[in-house]
Amino acid sequence: MITVEHLRKEFTYYKKMTGIKGSLHNIFHRESLTKEAVRDISFSVEKGEMIGFLGPNGAGKTTTLKMLSGILYPTGGKIEVDGFIPWERKNEFKRRISIVMGQKNQLWWDLPASDSFYLNKCIFGVDDGSYRDIIVELSELLEVKELLNVQVRRLSLGERMKMEILAALIHRPDILFLDEPTIGLDILSQKKIREFLKIYNAQWKTTVIVTSHYMADIEALCDRAVIINQGRLVYDGKLGEVNQLLGKRKLLSVKTSCPVDMEGWRAFGMVREVSAAGAVLEVPQEKVQEVLAAILSGLQVEDFTVTEIPIEEGIARFYQKEAAEI
Amino acid sequence: MSSYRCVFLMGVEQALEYRVSFFLSMLSAAFPIIIQTAMWNYLYGHSDAAAIFGYRQGEILLYTLLATLVSQLVSTGFEWEMNGDIKMGGLNKYLIRPVGYKGYQFFRFLGQKVPRVMVIVPVMAAMIGLAFWQGMPVSAGRVLAFLVSLGLALLLNFSIFYCVGLLGFWLTDVDKLFGTISVVLTVASGGVFPLDIFGGMVEILVNLLPFGYTAQFPVNIINGRFGWARIGAGIAFQIGWIFFFACLGNVMWRRGLKRYAAVGG
Amino acid sequence: MKRIGRYCKLLGIFAKYSLMSALEYRVNFVTGVTVEMGWMVIKLLYVAIVYKAGINIGILTPDHILLFVGTYMLMTGIFMMYWGNFSSLPGMVQQGELDLYIVKPVSLQFLVTLRRLDFAYLLPELIAGTAMIVTGWRLAGLPAGVVPIAGFLFYLACGCLLAYSLFLLPYILSFWIISAGGIADISSALWDFNNMPSMIYEKWFRRIGTYILPVFVITNFPGLFLMGELSPWACVWGVAAPVLFFALSRALWKFSLKKYSSASS
Repeated sequence: MITVEHLRKEFTYYKKMTGIKGSLHNIFHRESLTKEAVRDISFSVEKGEMIGFLGPNGAGKTTTLKMLSGILYPTGGKIEVDGFIPWERKNEFKRRISIVMGQKNQLWWDLPASDSFYLNKCIFGVDDGSYRDIIVELSELLEVKELLNVQVRRLSLGERMKMEILAALIHRPDILFLDEPTIGLDILSQKKIREFLKIYNAQWKTTVIVTSHYMADIEALCDRAVIINQGRLVYDGKLGEVNQLLGKRKLLSVKTSCPVDMEGWRAFGMVREVSAAGAVLEVPQEKVQEVLAAILSGLQVEDFTVTEIPIEEGIARFYQKEAAEI
Repeated sequence: MSSYRCVFLMGVEQALEYRVSFFLSMLSAAFPIIIQTAMWNYLYGHSDAAAIFGYRQGEILLYTLLATLVSQLVSTGFEWEMNGDIKMGGLNKYLIRPVGYKGYQFFRFLGQKVPRVMVIVPVMAAMIGLAFWQGMPVSAGRVLAFLVSLGLALLLNFSIFYCVGLLGFWLTDVDKLFGTISVVLTVASGGVFPLDIFGGMVEILVNLLPFGYTAQFPVNIINGRFGWARIGAGIAFQIGWIFFFACLGNVMWRRGLKRYAAVGG
Repeated sequence: MKRIGRYCKLLGIFAKYSLMSALEYRVNFVTGVTVEMGWMVIKLLYVAIVYKAGINIGILTPDHILLFVGTYMLMTGIFMMYWGNFSSLPGMVQQGELDLYIVKPVSLQFLVTLRRLDFAYLLPELIAGTAMIVTGWRLAGLPAGVVPIAGFLFYLACGCLLAYSLFLLPYILSFWIISAGGIADISSALWDFNNMPSMIYEKWFRRIGTYILPVFVITNFPGLFLMGELSPWACVWGVAAPVLFFALSRALWKFSLKKYSSASS
C-alpha cells in the first residue's frame, strides 16, 4: 500500500541578523542555511494496517507525513502510496487519501460543522445517499450527533477535533493520515478519539498512519510503531518491544509533609530525585498501584502524580541499548 | 529617557525589517500623485481660464504633491497595534514597565517614521526649492512656519489616532472601522484635494475642524495662500486641538483602563 | 462542461457560506459597508470636480465620465469581494495553511483565491456603480439595444477576469518574498489609476496601461465599446488580454507552488 525508500528532506532558511546594523544588512544580503528534517527513512505499510509515528517534537514526523500526503516534495528518495506518487497530486490520488492535522482546521469557523461537511461532499463529489449514511454513522460513533448544527466556534476543542476527523472521512478515503490528532485535548476526548479510530480502522479496513508524541496514543491504537528521532528512523517493529523501554515504566512524584531520606525512598523503588518536600520514583507500570498503596500507608503524603517517562528520554535510552548490543 | 530612546530605535529597526515592503510602499505613495497631476494637467490644459476654483495650475500641483507628502509623513498605523494590545491583554506588560504607554507608542511612532522621513524630506525640500525658483512666495520665514506647523501636525495626528486606538476599549471589532476613519480623515484633512475648492460651508468647516490642520494647513503656509495673520491663528488652532485631543486621550485612557481591569483583560 | 458546472456550484456554496458567516457579525458587516462608502466618497470627489469644472475629457462629456467612473466603482466592488483572499495569501503561505487545501481534489488556486467573498464591500459599490452607469448612459444618450448592452456586459465580464488575473500576480510573489505588505500597497495603488477615464493621461502612459500592464482595459473598455470608440484591434485585445493574463497567473501559480512544497516545513 505504502512504500518509502531512502526518503530525504532538506529546508533552507535565512539567518537573521539583529540590531539596526543587522537590519540594514538584511536588506541587501541574507545568509541561507540548510536544515535536514528527514534523512534516509525507509519503511512500508500494508493495507488496513494502523501504524504510529513516535518521536519528540521536531523529529521529522510531520514532515514525513506531509510528504506521504503530497503536500511537500521530497529532496530525495522514493514514495509510492496506493500506486501513486504523492507529490504529483493527481485528483484520483487525492480522493483516496485524507489528512487531519491537530493544529490546523479546515472547518468554517462561524458556521455549523455540517456546512463544512456539505462543502467537502461537493468538493469530493460524494453522492447524496452515501453522504447521508456516513454522517449518520460517524456522528453516532463520535457522539457528536447533537452538535452537527452548532457553530464550530462554540464547540470545545475536543468536539472540534471530532468534527475535523469526520470532515476528513466524508469521501471514505483508503488511507488516513493523522498528525497529532489529540494534541491539547482533555483526557476524555483523547480516549474517545482513540476508540473511534480503532473501530473505524477495523470496520472500514482503512490504512491509518498516526503521529504523536504521546506514547499513550500509539499504545492504544497501533501494533506497530515507527520511532523517528532527529530525522532518522530509529525503530520499526512491534510496539511490545518498545513498550519495555518506553511505556512500561512510570514516574511517580510524591510530596510529603515531613522529609524522608534517600534510604527511606529506596524501599519503594528506583529513586530519580529527592528533596525535602518529596521525591520522584521510577516504577514498573504493573507495580504502580502496589507501590502507591505502600507509600500512602507508610508516609504522610500531601500530593502525588503518575506520569510517563518523557519520550525524549525513552529514545535516548533506546540508543543506549542499541549501542550496548553492538 | 534612555528607555524611550530604545523604543525609538526599535521602531526604526522594525520599519527597515520589511525590506521589499518598504521600497514598494514608498513607490506606491507616488501613484496617487501621478493620478492627480494627470487630472489637473488635463483640466488646466483644456480650460481657457488661468485659475480653476481660485487655484493656478502651479499652485494646485504644488498643493497636491505637498499634501500627499505631508499626509504620508503624519500618517499613523499604531492604532491597530493598540487595539491588539487591548484585546489580547498585551497591555499588561506595559502597565508594569517603567515606560508610559502613550510615551511608548509616541516614540515608536517617531522611530518608525525615520526611514520615511529620510525619503520624504529631500523630495519635499527639492519641491519647495523648485517652487521658489518658479517664483512662488517662499521665504525663510514661511519655511520656518511650515516646519513648525508640520511638527504640530505630526503631534496632532498622533493625538487624534491615539484616541482612535483607545476606542478599542469599548468596541469589540474595530478592524474595518479604523480603515474608514483613516480614509475619511485623509480626505477631511485635505490630503487628496484642497477642500476650499468646494467653497462656502466646506471651507468654514475645514477651518474649524481639527483635521485640516494635519495636512491642508501646513501646505497652505508654504504655497503662500495664507497671510501671517492666518498662519498665527492656524498655529493657535493646532495647539488648541492638540491640547484637546491630549486631554481626551487621557480621559479615555483612564476610563478605558478601569473597564479593562473590570473585564479582566 | 461538467467541470465548469461543479466549480460554479462550489462558488455558489462559497458565496452562501461567506454571507452566512458575515451575518454572524452584523456590526462588522455594517462597518464594512461604511468603509467602502468612505472610499466611494473619494471617487465621487473626482467626479464632482469634473462636473464643477464643466470640462470634457477628450470625447467624454461629464455624463460619459459618470458612466466610466460608475463602471470603475462596480468593478471595484467585484474585485474587493474576493480581494481579501489575495491579501491573506502571504500569511497562509508563511503559516503553512495551504496544507489542508492542497490535498483537495479541486484547483488549489480556485479554492484559495475565491473561498471567502465579502459582500459588505460589494454592496455599496454595486448599488452606486450601477446607478451611475444607468444615469450616465441615459444622460449621454447612448444606444440601449440588445447588442450594446450585451457587448457592454461582455467586456465587463472580460474586465473581471483580467482584474482577477492581473492583480493576483503580485500576491503570488509572496511565495518567494517573505513580507508582502508593500505588494498589497502597490497593487491597490495601481487599481486607483482607473479613478478617472484613461483619456486623462498622456498618450504614452495610456499605451503602457492598455497593452503592457493593462489596468485601463478593465474599466475603460466596456464604456468605450458602448460609445463605438473601440477599434477592431482593441476589440480583440479586450478579449485576448484577460485570457493571456489568466494563463500567466495559472503558470506562475503552479511554478510558485513548487517553492511552497519544497521550502516550507
